[in-house]
Amino acid sequence: MAHRITTSLVSALALMAAVGTAEAKTVCYVTAADAHAYATPANEALSARADELGLEVLTLSQNFDVQTGTEQLNTCIARKADGIILWPLDPQAYIPGLARAQAAGIPSILINSPMSEQANEFIKSFTGPDVYEEGALAADSLSDAMNGEGSVIVIAGQAGNGTTIGRVGGFVDRLKELDSKIEILDTVNADFDQQKALVASRDLITRFGDKIMGVYANDDTMARGFIDAWKEAHGDKPTPPIVGINGQRDAFDSIRSGEMYSTIVQSPVEDGKLAIETMANILDGKEVDARLPIPLTVVTKENVEDVEPAF
Amino acid sequence: MDLLSQFVRYRVGIILGLTIIVASALVPGFFGLTTLSLGLDRASTIGLIAIGLTVLLIAGQIDLSVGSVFALSGIVAVTLQPSLGLGPAAVVGVLAGAACGAFNALLSVVFKVNALVATLATMLIFRSIAHWLTDSQPVAGTDIMFSITLAKIYLNLFTVRSAMFLVGIVLLHIWLTRAVAGRNLFAVGSSAPAAEASGISVGWTMAAGFIFASTMAGVAGVLQSLATNTGSPVFGSELTVMVIAAVVVGGTRLEGGRGSALGTLGGVLTIASLTTAMEFSSVPAYFQQVVAGFILILLVVLDRTVKPRTRAHSAGAPAP
Repeated sequence: MAHRITTSLVSALALMAAVGTAEAKTVCYVTAADAHAYATPANEALSARADELGLEVLTLSQNFDVQTGTEQLNTCIARKADGIILWPLDPQAYIPGLARAQAAGIPSILINSPMSEQANEFIKSFTGPDVYEEGALAADSLSDAMNGEGSVIVIAGQAGNGTTIGRVGGFVDRLKELDSKIEILDTVNADFDQQKALVASRDLITRFGDKIMGVYANDDTMARGFIDAWKEAHGDKPTPPIVGINGQRDAFDSIRSGEMYSTIVQSPVEDGKLAIETMANILDGKEVDARLPIPLTVVTKENVEDVEPAF
Repeated sequence: MDLLSQFVRYRVGIILGLTIIVASALVPGFFGLTTLSLGLDRASTIGLIAIGLTVLLIAGQIDLSVGSVFALSGIVAVTLQPSLGLGPAAVVGVLAGAACGAFNALLSVVFKVNALVATLATMLIFRSIAHWLTDSQPVAGTDIMFSITLAKIYLNLFTVRSAMFLVGIVLLHIWLTRAVAGRNLFAVGSSAPAAEASGISVGWTMAAGFIFASTMAGVAGVLQSLATNTGSPVFGSELTVMVIAAVVVGGTRLEGGRGSALGTLGGVLTIASLTTAMEFSSVPAYFQQVVAGFILILLVVLDRTVKPRTRAHSAGAPAP
């Protein structure tokens, strides 16, 4: 068998020499997944913008598996990519891979999610949404809807999750900053899950009844859960003002029908575009900021027809 | 028919060769020392576990819990770092893997639970313990610099991990072909009653197989956690299937009694080069698994329908 393998290797070498190598700059993009409501449009936007910029993109999907991702960084280095865009799913695990890329002279940036501070020396920039700012914008929007007073409930995402911490923290801090008369009755974790939000909302509606004068949900899916629970309990009675985040299509419908007050569009298209544009700047030798947030748009009934839903 | 039976005999070598040739032709930059060394490092995670599973499969048993053991050992090794230090914590991590194997052996050998069912259950149990120990959050180790050292490439070709894998394969080959215990393993896998009758302790052989398989998963898990400075309850969730695929592609039969170290090496390298080649050309992850699945089916069907002309001795032939 050894002889056969040797023969194969020799013929492979010969083929390689015949093919030759002449190509544009290649960016290796290690994405979270290739079939996902948020990630897919982000991936597509990134590739489309790369075409315009004349960059070649090698997309590797981790399929939400951190270990796969750490190995894919090796593929990027082996492929001698000119730059790496990483969608981290873990605060630490990618650091050795990023260090290896740095040693090979390949610049890396993060898209969408942050990593721990120890990663900072190995990356050029982090592009993506500012989840703390989203929380603050949600506080502003809910204050507008309630004229700055009343009592609200907060339906938060997963406990300990970076997005949850940012979105709740930004909201609470902003209310404090405004010296708002809005009081938070309770904060519950519903893990960004519609079903869990429905169950939690039933309890909250039973417990607080008419005291619920406003709702802040960490994402639109959980806002939907509250709306369903409200309908079960009160039929056609109008919902209190509800503020969500993400800017999903069905949230837009809820805003049109008046079931929701507002949402915040965090566009996966902008997310993908900004990352590849930042990488293009790095490859052109330009300096880039260590933190580049994507634009956020608060959507209410006023502008719901003018804004594209995020996904 | 002659040609076909020749093909079946050397199928792993041929498929591996074809994969490399096609990949080199289609994918620029595939064939190179960097690709080889990094690909080898990547293959060694699957490979170390595959070494353990080869032994267990030859004995006619299976272990579905290796992916969970992989995660659990890594978590143990990382969480104990602050109190024990890097080295001792790693040892305890590997021992945790061995303990999992002993538990599998207890269920399958002592209580006679079918290995598929027993290790399906422990797969869920070990995975849940991993989540419980960590609150479902990844745990960071104490020394990121060590991870970076571990990722270093020596002689332009080997990392610590890939060297361990290759040495492991050589040792396994020698053991399976030269040692009495190695040959007893084939006897146990072919026919347990016959082996028992000829004086081999079937129970102990199988138990040792389970403990060895889990220990190797533990070694791979600890190395992974050291290399990434992270212990995570979600590590290795897709690993088990890939490892079994690699071992089976390498000619080891799930029914037991047949398999070889070199075959497993070929299987591991085939799966690794397929993955790398498809990643190099941006093939979506789900489609990669379709290709891997079809190659697995092709090889197994060929194995069943075509009888090699000379019935090769199971241990000696590189890839029967």
